[in-house]
Amino acid sequence: MKEPSDFTKTKEPRESWVSRWTTLEDIERTLIDKPSSGFEAWARTTAGIVVMLLSLQILTGLLLGFYYVPSTESAHTAVAYIEKVVPAGSWIRSLHHYGSQWLTVALLLHLAQMFWRATYRRRPVAWMTSVILLGLIFASGATGYSLPWDARAFFGTRVTEGIAGGLPLIGSAAREWILGGTEITPVTLARFFALHALIIPALILIVLAARLFVFRERGLVSAAEERRLEVWMHRQVLRNAIAAGLVFIALALYALKYFAPLGPAADTAAPGYLPRPGAQFLWLFQMLKYLPGRAASVVAVALPGLILFGLAMLPFLNPKPLRKLMAHPRRTLGAVLFSLAFLLFTVMTFLAYWKDATDPLVRLQLRRQQAEEIAFRSAPFTPLRSRTSESVSIEPRTQTDTGKQSNTQSTDASPTPGSDSSANTSTNFSQGAPPESYITNCSACHGTRGQGASKFPKLLGVGLKPRRTVEDIYALLNDPLAYGLEPPMKSYANKLTEEEKREISEWVASLKK
Amino acid sequence: MPDTDSKQNKKAKEHEHDKGRREFLFLLPLTIFAGVAATIVTAAFRFLRPIKSVQPDVWNDVAPLAELTGEKPIMRSIVAEHQAGWASTLEEHFIYILPHKGNQVLSSICPHEGCNVAWRNEESQFFCPCHDSYFTAEGERLSGPSQRGLDPLPAREKDGMLQVKYQTYVNNTEERIVRG
Repeated sequence: MKEPSDFTKTKEPRESWVSRWTTLEDIERTLIDKPSSGFEAWARTTAGIVVMLLSLQILTGLLLGFYYVPSTESAHTAVAYIEKVVPAGSWIRSLHHYGSQWLTVALLLHLAQMFWRATYRRRPVAWMTSVILLGLIFASGATGYSLPWDARAFFGTRVTEGIAGGLPLIGSAAREWILGGTEITPVTLARFFALHALIIPALILIVLAARLFVFRERGLVSAAEERRLEVWMHRQVLRNAIAAGLVFIALALYALKYFAPLGPAADTAAPGYLPRPGAQFLWLFQMLKYLPGRAASVVAVALPGLILFGLAMLPFLNPKPLRKLMAHPRRTLGAVLFSLAFLLFTVMTFLAYWKDATDPLVRLQLRRQQAEEIAFRSAPFTPLRSRTSESVSIEPRTQTDTGKQSNTQSTDASPTPGSDSSANTSTNFSQGAPPESYITNCSACHGTRGQGASKFPKLLGVGLKPRRTVEDIYALLNDPLAYGLEPPMKSYANKLTEEEKREISEWVASLKK
Repeated sequence: MPDTDSKQNKKAKEHEHDKGRREFLFLLPLTIFAGVAATIVTAAFRFLRPIKSVQPDVWNDVAPLAELTGEKPIMRSIVAEHQAGWASTLEEHFIYILPHKGNQVLSSICPHEGCNVAWRNEESQFFCPCHDSYFTAEGERLSGPSQRGLDPLPAREKDGMLQVKYQTYVNNTEERIVRG
């Protein structure tokens, strides 16, 4: 009434708050595709499942980041702390671990479903982003695998390094850039962490942002049809939510029942330990058994790479010469790539499980490892003791700190005579490095820090046990049988000097639990 | 005629001038952006460049010679100090000593993809738990994806002790190439 512009506004259908202030409706329009009903509509809920699992990975990953430390010294202890001490820690880590495997499967199903509906024809961007996302999820799994720095992680990193190093031309450079050096070092773990927690999630978000906010794919839908589609869309959102909710409940229960694996720390696994990759990489693991030499690297990188690249490029695989050759080149080529990927994935995964199940020695070792893991899980948490190398001298401040601790400790482990010199005191407190004689004579079985190895007992906290004072341990080294110890523990009566026996028994008695 | 001509000329000139200005307005931010990006990328390249880790060049005591008897390989470990990046770490490397082959020392690292091989008493063979490579009791290649036998490590006998120098080899090649 006042102004014509106001007048025209009242005539138009009222703009909703959402459409005025947000871009949500634009996003909805980007997501709308030909409506489907019945089974197909439910098959399309893989989209919602992928979104849920991806958000869950990001959320649980962020939470784990509050405790995790990307250092080869403390990573394993930090993960053990998450598992054993932090409330709900083992559930959240298990969600993250198995969530990554479920996400891979969900994305594969999502792609299959999109391929079935020939989405690559109408929605090339939606199709390509899904393929790229699958590649990024694999990369995320491969880098995340190293982070707990257990034996599994360590050998996983070794194999990654081996595969990269075997690539033609760029091999040694690729290997060194991945490792951040010429060997696996503390730098390597930091690098894998940066890739897993920063670079790859950033790339995933960029790909998603491009899909939702940059590209516009209205495709076949006319403006008049859009309103009708919106009704369908809202119903489809509900279907997606139901499917995603069900999958979440399933995963939540699964994660409650099954712990994420945590093997022995990387530096304690003795030869014979069987490292097994996560379920989504078993196909690659098994494939490496059949590929001799450097062919392995080429095939392991090129075959999955080519399949992914071919799938990503599928919307463009429709030139005239190809169409002359076959009726539907995209459909045919896509089907070939899909069956190739499917065969590779299922056959190799099955073979990996089958081989492990049929080799009695492997089965025995895997069962032993499982038993050890259960034992490790039920044992109380052992906090990290800073391991200083022999060349590093202890700061005066730390010495008084540890001195306080040693007062309480020495009452248990009996005070040691002759601990007057400062060099000696530093070895008395378990913070000190092991004496060299310990490293050369004892560490092969009892571990470099007395942590033990598979079937050999650990020495941590041994000083608190009866008949294990410094004098006892000294005598024990001369005559283990007298202390009820059986072979393979042997007598060191003639193999160590009196001084060496003295320093070993002092150091061992000082080890805290 | 000449008047309109000059007018047209002027217009064309103005147009050209506008075009040049537009191009400049487009190119300038692009150049600035490219400059910033190039600077950061160069720094990032140098920043992320792999560093050389220092391999310890020392002889490690492994075992007294008197202990090294019998037909079976004996497993021992070397604890070596490695320096890389911000840390100097003690790392444990496993080795096998073959007393029946003049105390030859083999690295436990599989020449295929680098897992630790294990000795299987039941079969008198070395076995890689990762990808099923098998080696004889002397370390020669039997079957599986490995391209060569287990790698020997330099060893010497001194003062009644067997001493070993630790080193690694390039994996997955037929000939042995020492790393580093």
